[in-house]
Amino acid sequence: MSGLWNNKLLVFALFVAVAFGPACAHRKAVVAPEPQAGAETEKPAPQPAEGGTTTVSPEPSISAAENPESAIRAGELPANLEEINKAGYLKDVFFDTDKADLRPDARDLLAADAIWLKNHSSVKFLLEGHCDERNTEEYNLALGWRRANAVKSYLASLGVGADSISTISYGEEKPFATCHNESCWSQNRRAHFVVTAR
Amino acid sequence: MRRGLFVIGACAIAFAAADSTPAQEEVYLKVTSPGLSRVMIAMAEFPSRQGADPGAASTLLATLRKDLDDTAVVGLISPENARLVVVDPNNPNLMRQRWRSVGAQFLLDGSIAGAGNQLVLEVRLWDLTSGEVAYSRRFQGTVNLATTMAHSLANELVHLFTGKPGPFLSRIAFVSDRSGNKELWVMRWDGSEPQQLTSHRSIALSPAWSPDGQLLAFTSFLRGSPQLFIFRPKEGYLKALSSLPGVNSSPNFSPDGKLVAFAAGEGGETDIFVVPAEGGSPVRVTHTRGISTQPAWSPSGRQIVFTSSVGGSPQLYVMDAEGTNVRRLTFEDKYADEASWAPDGVKIAYTTLVDDRFQIATLDLRNNTRTLIPGPGNNESPCWSPDGTVLAFVSNRTGAKQIFITDQIGRPRQITTEGNNIQPAWVALVQ
Repeated sequence: MSGLWNNKLLVFALFVAVAFGPACAHRKAVVAPEPQAGAETEKPAPQPAEGGTTTVSPEPSISAAENPESAIRAGELPANLEEINKAGYLKDVFFDTDKADLRPDARDLLAADAIWLKNHSSVKFLLEGHCDERNTEEYNLALGWRRANAVKSYLASLGVGADSISTISYGEEKPFATCHNESCWSQNRRAHFVVTAR
Repeated sequence: MRRGLFVIGACAIAFAAADSTPAQEEVYLKVTSPGLSRVMIAMAEFPSRQGADPGAASTLLATLRKDLDDTAVVGLISPENARLVVVDPNNPNLMRQRWRSVGAQFLLDGSIAGAGNQLVLEVRLWDLTSGEVAYSRRFQGTVNLATTMAHSLANELVHLFTGKPGPFLSRIAFVSDRSGNKELWVMRWDGSEPQQLTSHRSIALSPAWSPDGQLLAFTSFLRGSPQLFIFRPKEGYLKALSSLPGVNSSPNFSPDGKLVAFAAGEGGETDIFVVPAEGGSPVRVTHTRGISTQPAWSPSGRQIVFTSSVGGSPQLYVMDAEGTNVRRLTFEDKYADEASWAPDGVKIAYTTLVDDRFQIATLDLRNNTRTLIPGPGNNESPCWSPDGTVLAFVSNRTGAKQIFITDQIGRPRQITTEGNNIQPAWVALVQ
């Protein structure tokens, strides 16, 4: 590999890191608290975390990275599933304590998710149900299962093909944030999207 | 095995003559009632050790001493006090008096002998009030079984005083993340000899023993989605028991070991299912809306207690094993989960919520009396010892989640320290 190519790769890697970084909802990130029920116009604002660890795919779509909206119109997606998931096209939704009901803010996010999914009908994805640590492990496994399936039902009602959706519960086993108070718990009561086929 | 015939007595021990016929009906001294002091046993030095491997003999005696010290029902006379007793083999009456004067009610005496790799332990338990032999026993085995012989003897001594075998050969399976992932582990009842059973580098949850201690049912994310597996620790044998949609969690063996109840369900629902332990088609036994999970069989096998959120918050319900006659058990709790049915069938231990902290409670089914067993931190996942006298549970009172055991006179003891350790499952004997 030539030095010139190395340099180009480095520059490109930096560019990708900058471009993708802010959109990354990295699973270990402690992001801002999600909107409260009723604050319908508010959107969650995930903050970047570990943006510099982004790996470079052979042919990423720079336009998609700069402007996801144009990617939706063009139907262009990064070739690499990891890139798609890091780009955060699909927004996770959050739940109230011990609940699997969809809050108004969650319905808004899912409406946008549904539009994107219908524009990318070949995309298959996994919905992970997650919980905070405040129930027993096994109850949380069942609660996460309800959450993932509540989102699946809602997306299906909005016209997303049910056969493109898989669901799994991780209960409290894979927390996104690891502190032991509400600022983390609210992050962990979530349904998380993982694109599994583009 | 010869046993003394004991008649219940709080302070004075009424005593019938020691009987040498094995078929004699057994009546035991009850010492587990609250407030009653321990039975004090003096342990002799076992001076006769003809031909016995010295290392094995001292291991045996040290193990026996430690076991008896660990129980709530038996106390050992301290070595300092025991040394005050001047041995006079020719005057048994005087000897009994001397032992009684240092607080002993019983004297455990005997001999250890051996040849080659064989070890023979002969013991007699003398009642120091009557002078009769209350119990005598001969154990024989290879020297590497010295600790097992000691544990067996300690079990029988506890059995003599309580009517229930001691915990000394019992094992606790649990989930630990000390290796970096949640794996299945097993340890002795007191936390010693921890042993890692799985190295799946996935998520293992909710181990449950078959009654004979041969099999563990558990949930694993090994194949992506959570599935129910049967594991035979001795052989490392693993097979899937349920890959139904849903959580496939919280397995629990029926008392005859033939069936496994667990939780699973489609479309976000979670209900209780029952599947043959040898494999087969799971049968759904609950049809509630919302979450039904954490089944636990009654010792009779006729009923199953479980957690359901059908009324809003998670509460305990009980049903016939076929799913009929569902009724709610808990009404005083904001939250009730993780039921564990005591071996006597009378009590259910469970996890409740008090002032936003998890606490252990028991429910007496005879009179619906709820007893809180409060402790610092969060306390959850109660599990009865096989004899029903002690609970294991999980607490974060010292930081990470650790397994504790407690007895009913309130002596909790931490038995794990490394990593997080959760979901204890206790079995009498691992075959």
